[in-house]
Amino acid sequence: MIDADHLNIHLLQDELDILQGAQGPLLQKIMETVVLYGEALEAGRLVDIEGPGHFVIPWSSPGIAPPIELLEELADAGLKTKFPFTLDPKPPFDFENLYVRPEEEAVIKAMYCNQARYDELMIQLGLRDQDAYTCNPYQPEVGNIPARDTVLAWSESACAVYANSVLGARTNRNGAIMDILTNIIGKTPLAGLLTDEGRRATWLVEIRTDNLPNPQLLGAAIGLKVFEDVPYIVNLDCYLNPDLDSKTTDFLQEMGTACATYGAVGLFHVENVTPEAVDFGKDLLVPGFQTYVIDDHELQNLLYSFPLLWTDENPKAERCYIGCPHLSLHQLYWWANAIQLALQAHSKKRLAIDTVLYAAPKVLELFKKDESVYFQLKEAGVKFSPACSETIFETRLCSGRPILTNSTKLRAYTTARFIPDEALVEALVTGKVD
Amino acid sequence: MGKTFKGRAILPANLIGEALVSRQGFNTYASFYNSLHDDAESAECADSGNTELFGRNMMGKIICLPKTSGSTSAGAVWQRVASLGVAPKAMLFARSIDSLAAGGLIVADIWTHHRICTVDQLGEDFLLAVQDGDWLKVREDGTVQIINTQQG
Repeated sequence: MIDADHLNIHLLQDELDILQGAQGPLLQKIMETVVLYGEALEAGRLVDIEGPGHFVIPWSSPGIAPPIELLEELADAGLKTKFPFTLDPKPPFDFENLYVRPEEEAVIKAMYCNQARYDELMIQLGLRDQDAYTCNPYQPEVGNIPARDTVLAWSESACAVYANSVLGARTNRNGAIMDILTNIIGKTPLAGLLTDEGRRATWLVEIRTDNLPNPQLLGAAIGLKVFEDVPYIVNLDCYLNPDLDSKTTDFLQEMGTACATYGAVGLFHVENVTPEAVDFGKDLLVPGFQTYVIDDHELQNLLYSFPLLWTDENPKAERCYIGCPHLSLHQLYWWANAIQLALQAHSKKRLAIDTVLYAAPKVLELFKKDESVYFQLKEAGVKFSPACSETIFETRLCSGRPILTNSTKLRAYTTARFIPDEALVEALVTGKVD
Repeated sequence: MGKTFKGRAILPANLIGEALVSRQGFNTYASFYNSLHDDAESAECADSGNTELFGRNMMGKIICLPKTSGSTSAGAVWQRVASLGVAPKAMLFARSIDSLAAGGLIVADIWTHHRICTVDQLGEDFLLAVQDGDWLKVREDGTVQIINTQQG
């Protein structure tokens, strides 16, 4: 047990009471974990969590998910998060949507054999509802949209960076398990991105590309350079809208996801676009900041640096996964339109590569109501799934297989090959990958 | 007497072990991607983006690194590799520990009762001095001594 007399963090009496066992050994253990976390982050104190959570692990996969036994211990004690939470996408059980082979199906079923119990435990611990599974929870159809300055304890790196940067809420990048524990105790350490000082930028990133760059490549470049620091990005405001329209939020979501994957970026500011940059401008930059200039050459070099991890270097691509992170409604329509135009241009009715678009259950539900667009895409061979494309690779059965993606995040964790959107549309229609 | 560095002991321990050095950010989830299954007997680094550690066995080693990077799934990864017995012996951070590593390593310690000794704030000079294969002595006060350097 922690020796409270030797802590640097200041605890309130009610926090000390829990730490000393006043509310039982399980809450004591949770508080001990959260307090030690605060000590490690050099937090002055704990602060109350003020809004719903979003957590990273929705699968029962051993090694990535919290152990069932740990969750049962929490649920059996009647513990629940202070606010209902949303959760990353479900494992890929909707086989009819995924173009997976029978042997992959069998492994997926075996890998996630505890999923029903896991889902049940998540509901008991505070999951908002059965449709709350997505890595894009701030879409209006999903509705986990914290207000500016709300203190949160989110995990899922892609969501934490969006909540901080685009919504102006405040969360550190919490890991799996710690996310549930802090949200049960209702407190998180006041450190890092929760503080004004921690939200100041140490990098000025100057964009000098001829056009709006690919957000996934741009984010990867920024993440690789600034690593965990906060970048202040200039020259994107001529393309993006401070009213945060769909085009802007989609761009920032994709860029932020890549920043968080290739580095550990938890917050970025875009001049004249994101809320804190609109309010404070370059005052957000600390004295002595570093500068990074990104031009088309830099992004091209990054693209060419991605190794091809397919087992056969020149096969026909067999599948394409689009939507890591999950697509917005606006993005679904972008793909629908781009695919239809490309099919018409090539006088074709069906894509040459089996393609899946991934989005939140509620977003897909709305999209499918637009029957003419939905059925046109279905007839072209496009399928739609609310699952997580990355989990399909965890079977190891499609590692090295010729699978394409528009996601630099999926590329980073799997053997899928990244191709930027416009080139990918062409590849889907022709079957040819340069 | 080898060089000595003083850091901050977050999860203290007295131990001696062999260094594996990553001068770039250590992506926890990608590194242990192939070491999370029930019958894992070792922990070969699976992060193809980490040219220093890719393919090398991290089990029982002392990982020397600036910070960790990547997915927040890493939180549960530490708990898993600790419970499987394939975890590194210690994690030595040149900089202040990041929130993902801190949370994951503390959860593994308290909920799995398996300590992965953790020291941070050892300084950039530490990463410049330590070499792969060096033997390191770590003390519970956060002192790290290079006791047998590969470079003589």
